[in-house]
Amino acid sequence: MMGFNPGVRKRTWFRGRDWPYHIALIVTALGIAFPLLYATLIATQNNTEIFSFKMTPGSALASNFESVWFKRDFAGAMWNSTQQALYVTTGKTVLSLMAGLAFVYFKFRGKWLVFFLVLVTLMMPTEVMILAMFRLVSGFGWQDTMASIVVPFLASATGAFLFRQHFSNMPVELLEASQIDGATPVKFLTRVLIPLSWNVIAALFVIQFVYTWNMFLWPSLIIRDESAQVTQVALQTLTNIDGALTYGPLMLSAIIASVPPAVVFLLMQKPFMSGFALGQDK
Amino acid sequence: MKHRLLILLTILAMVAAACGDDSSTETTAAGDQPATTQAPDTATTAAPATTAGGGGEAINIDFWVAFSDEARLGFSEEKAAAFNAKHPEYNVEVTSFASYNDAFDAAVLAVDSGEPPEIIHFFEAATRQALDAVDASGNPIFKSVTDAIGGRTDILGEPVVLDDVVDAARNYYTVDGSFYSMPWNTSTTVMFNNMDILNAAGITEPPATWGEVEAACEAIAALPDGPSACITWPNHSWFVEQSLGQQGELLGNNDNGRSDRATEVYLTSDGMLNYVNWWKGLSDSGYYTYTGLQRDWDGTSNAYLAEEVAMLIYSSSDTTFFDTNASFTNQASFMPYNENVDYVGNLIGGATLWMLDGMDAAQEDGALAFLNFFSNPENAAEWHQITGYIPITKTAEAQLVADGWYEESPNSKVASDQLAAAENTPASLGALLGNFVGIRDIITGAIEDILVNDVDVTERLTQANEEANRSLSEYEQLFGG
Amino acid sequence: MLIIGLIGAAGLGFLYVRFFIQRRTPIRYAVSSVAAVGGASVTPFAMGQCGFAPETTGVDRLLAYGLMAVGAAVALVIVRSFFDRRDGLSNESDAFAGEIRSGGYRMGWWVPWVLLAPTLAILVVFLYTPAIQTFTLSTRLTRLGAPRSVDVCFRNFSELLVAEPWRLVAYPLIAIGLVYGARFWLSRTSPGTWSRRGADLATIAAALSVFIALYAMFSPGGGGNVDFRAVYLTTVIISVGVVVVGMTLGLAVAYLAYRSLRGGSAYRTLLIWPYAISPAVAGVLFFMIFDPTAGIFTHAMESWFGIDVPNYRESTLLAQTAIILASSWKILGYNILFYLAGFQSVSLDQVEAAVIDGASPWQRFVKVVWPGLSPITFFLLVTNLTYAFFEIYATIDFMTKGAPAGDTSVAIYEIIRIGVNNGDLGRGAAQSVLLFIAVIGITLWQFRTSGRRVTYGGA
Repeated sequence: MMGFNPGVRKRTWFRGRDWPYHIALIVTALGIAFPLLYATLIATQNNTEIFSFKMTPGSALASNFESVWFKRDFAGAMWNSTQQALYVTTGKTVLSLMAGLAFVYFKFRGKWLVFFLVLVTLMMPTEVMILAMFRLVSGFGWQDTMASIVVPFLASATGAFLFRQHFSNMPVELLEASQIDGATPVKFLTRVLIPLSWNVIAALFVIQFVYTWNMFLWPSLIIRDESAQVTQVALQTLTNIDGALTYGPLMLSAIIASVPPAVVFLLMQKPFMSGFALGQDK
Repeated sequence: MKHRLLILLTILAMVAAACGDDSSTETTAAGDQPATTQAPDTATTAAPATTAGGGGEAINIDFWVAFSDEARLGFSEEKAAAFNAKHPEYNVEVTSFASYNDAFDAAVLAVDSGEPPEIIHFFEAATRQALDAVDASGNPIFKSVTDAIGGRTDILGEPVVLDDVVDAARNYYTVDGSFYSMPWNTSTTVMFNNMDILNAAGITEPPATWGEVEAACEAIAALPDGPSACITWPNHSWFVEQSLGQQGELLGNNDNGRSDRATEVYLTSDGMLNYVNWWKGLSDSGYYTYTGLQRDWDGTSNAYLAEEVAMLIYSSSDTTFFDTNASFTNQASFMPYNENVDYVGNLIGGATLWMLDGMDAAQEDGALAFLNFFSNPENAAEWHQITGYIPITKTAEAQLVADGWYEESPNSKVASDQLAAAENTPASLGALLGNFVGIRDIITGAIEDILVNDVDVTERLTQANEEANRSLSEYEQLFGG
Repeated sequence: MLIIGLIGAAGLGFLYVRFFIQRRTPIRYAVSSVAAVGGASVTPFAMGQCGFAPETTGVDRLLAYGLMAVGAAVALVIVRSFFDRRDGLSNESDAFAGEIRSGGYRMGWWVPWVLLAPTLAILVVFLYTPAIQTFTLSTRLTRLGAPRSVDVCFRNFSELLVAEPWRLVAYPLIAIGLVYGARFWLSRTSPGTWSRRGADLATIAAALSVFIALYAMFSPGGGGNVDFRAVYLTTVIISVGVVVVGMTLGLAVAYLAYRSLRGGSAYRTLLIWPYAISPAVAGVLFFMIFDPTAGIFTHAMESWFGIDVPNYRESTLLAQTAIILASSWKILGYNILFYLAGFQSVSLDQVEAAVIDGASPWQRFVKVVWPGLSPITFFLLVTNLTYAFFEIYATIDFMTKGAPAGDTSVAIYEIIRIGVNNGDLGRGAAQSVLLFIAVIGITLWQFRTSGRRVTYGGA
């Protein structure tokens, strides 16, 4: 297993001065940040200021926020997305833990078939069957409901295999010890495995949270009722607030929509990195 | 076998759990959403339970609106709230959709799953499809509003306004002799002119014909500090249909699908070639600017407001918006026409409200009362004033004249005048086609190809014609009699 | 017609034993032939033999035979694994076999099933069911809400292919021939010779010929049919663009950031944050930058350089470049993240040895670092490709909506346009099936090449 902290390495590939690298990195970071910085500027302006290419903060931040957040109820979309992301992330983690447990610690008839069934889904992205799925899920009468954007995504081969791999790298003695204690699988999972898996859980959480929050195509098909819409799709209607293309409110809402995944990513960066290093090295 | 049973049981449990989960999230959503209830516009719809009052359950009437902007959605919510206050035994609940297509697709799905709304807002192009829509057992989904009213002059105290609807809308939406849906937002295409630029170029009146547009553009292009282009309009099939109406050409057979179902479309008619060639000519000489997107209302309106073009052909629905937001002298005029062909007439566009079939008498009367209340003279006049859609009833129009509104806002009269000038022929009524939405996309796709890629107009339209006819015949195969 | 196919399948089964099975007995010949016939007859009978109906075209029949061949091949693979097991030649990989045998919990047989049931239920209902329905939908003419639907057999597919059956047979054969030819040449040369360089070039040419063969196999449109060559070309250009630009920049920035510096972790955070940005937001941000009326790009080009940039949505080159830029920007953080991790697996000893040998930084990179990165590069190649196939839908929807004239309408965008916006579910499903085949191909290639089963960042 490898750590993910090259900063503390003593030995290095590089020779020479540091400052050219500092400059290069700052320039690169600014280049990467440019679209967001520009959007932030636009978010403060009204259309007149935008059309005159004013490069200083404008006067419309408050009114842009007012129209996006209250009048167009972007708050509602944010709330819908939050619920969706939390349900999917939690559900997926729990189901993946259960599946990983079954795969590593149980021997049962037909295991190869189950394993195969789950494995094959790695090459079945939802997008290639999206039309059939649209018909299927709307046939359940689930259009415009939270269920339609949560339930289909609760299971994941990625998650199941991630935990399977993580558990199978753990010492066998763990199981033997808990069997002597007579622990049930649930207890074994909650008392022994989960405490040893926080990094992997955090990594999966970040990946799934970002993935779910950023989902666009599926909600754009199955959710049409504006009050049930998620942020990424709600952005679409914000291109027109009151009759014309309104850049400021659109940029502002794009920034607001990026805050939750960015916060999750930054807060959980450390465990994410180490969990991710675990996942990588086989 | 046991394993399979187990899987099956789990699936059932999950489905049940998911459904339960869903209803609980909806209640929490209503409760935990401070932002919605703070917004004054939506407060009334967010709390339906309170409007019901003490006297028993109010009858719910779902009303789907394909608008999501402040002015239009706000109007719908406000009127629904006013109706609920006036008739506490009913509760009209507005649901908003981002576009006509979204509302239409959602309605088809809702019907399939047995939870359709009572009133739904469909655009004109979906008229044929709405008439063809059937539920699982093959019965039509919607009920003719005329039949439901059944000759009554008022319903629950709301005077019936259906008979008062202006001719242009009545003629468009009357199919097989029956007026199926209640017109709401109805507009036509008009041209908005930046008179500051036109005057600077020595033109005092908005151009009326294709030739005059070209001449005006030539003059504007010669201006030293003129705009980068001269004119724009959205690449939307509606403008093509308008031009066919002006030139008296049919888009579909059987009198544009009005004497019988249309089974053929004509995308290579003379009128079509004239219009597209004129369009391409303007584009080639740099007069017409294309925003690069199909159906781009926002981009074209922005180009006009940012004074990148001097003229904008657009929907009259935004007359008030341009009057308020233009920082220059904005004047509306008729849509320019082909001077080489006799003018026949422009058609309407917009949307109507369709009523679900199969409601019980009390609910149906509530829905009918709401429809007539929604377009009563005061509401229809207000709707016209805040948007620019034509006043939908004659009484509303007369009232606006009496109030002196048109003297105050002359641009608002252009749309009604243009429709009044039209002859009543199948060509100027516009087509009723199956899969019209798909066929419209084929038309705009071909035009985009012609505008950007410099392909041969006739060849490309012939190709589009094949595509559109195949699409229509397949639709007829699935839906036709 | 069907009989010819079945006799062919039986022959295939016979030949398979003759050439690929070590222990050949008459019974095995019989079993294999029968299995092949059985496998081959699954699809024609499930589809009511419609592929051989009188009104079908040559392409329809070819597709029908093709499906029979696939059925027979699947049956033969199963038969072979059965023979191998009897011969003690099980070719299951050790990891897989070990996987199946592991597990030491002693509890009721039902416990693992309960643990797996929710996962299985979701996968069966929301992945397997729609996957199968995609195939059935693809053989029908149907619309959302339509009271009837019509069985059109292979028509939705044959419309997407070139009209002459011989092309569909010849082009792939030529491409496969070239690939194997180049491989053969490569195996006969030794490094550093001119012959090897020629073989390298031939390998590249052969790989290109696969793309070209596919292009030539698709329909050029006309007669009301979609120009599927255009869709294919757009998809290839945009996916290759995103993969090349995104990964090259990712590698370059990661190389820069890998150096131990003060504030290194702050830099890394500043470099990888776009990972959290959605493709939709990427589309919104670049929509703003490139907007012809109000965007900074057009304005800056005009006022700083005096270049009058046309509206990017009207030019194929500009529109595709804009989409590639926006999409590469969004995936850049992800690529940097993985390359940073990948550098750790490069042997530091080898790098130092190269330094001592006096290798220049560039030589060091080419000779030592790049080969050491090949597993992570391969992994990124697959994930970036998946991203470029599906996730950029939202970016395109915000920026160009497929303009100009479909030149940024990649496969998934086209599927939604046809299947949802036009409501033509059958044709949309047929295109989905082709995309599905592409994804299966890429995934199998990944499994074969890397043996890794864990992918990151997907569903």
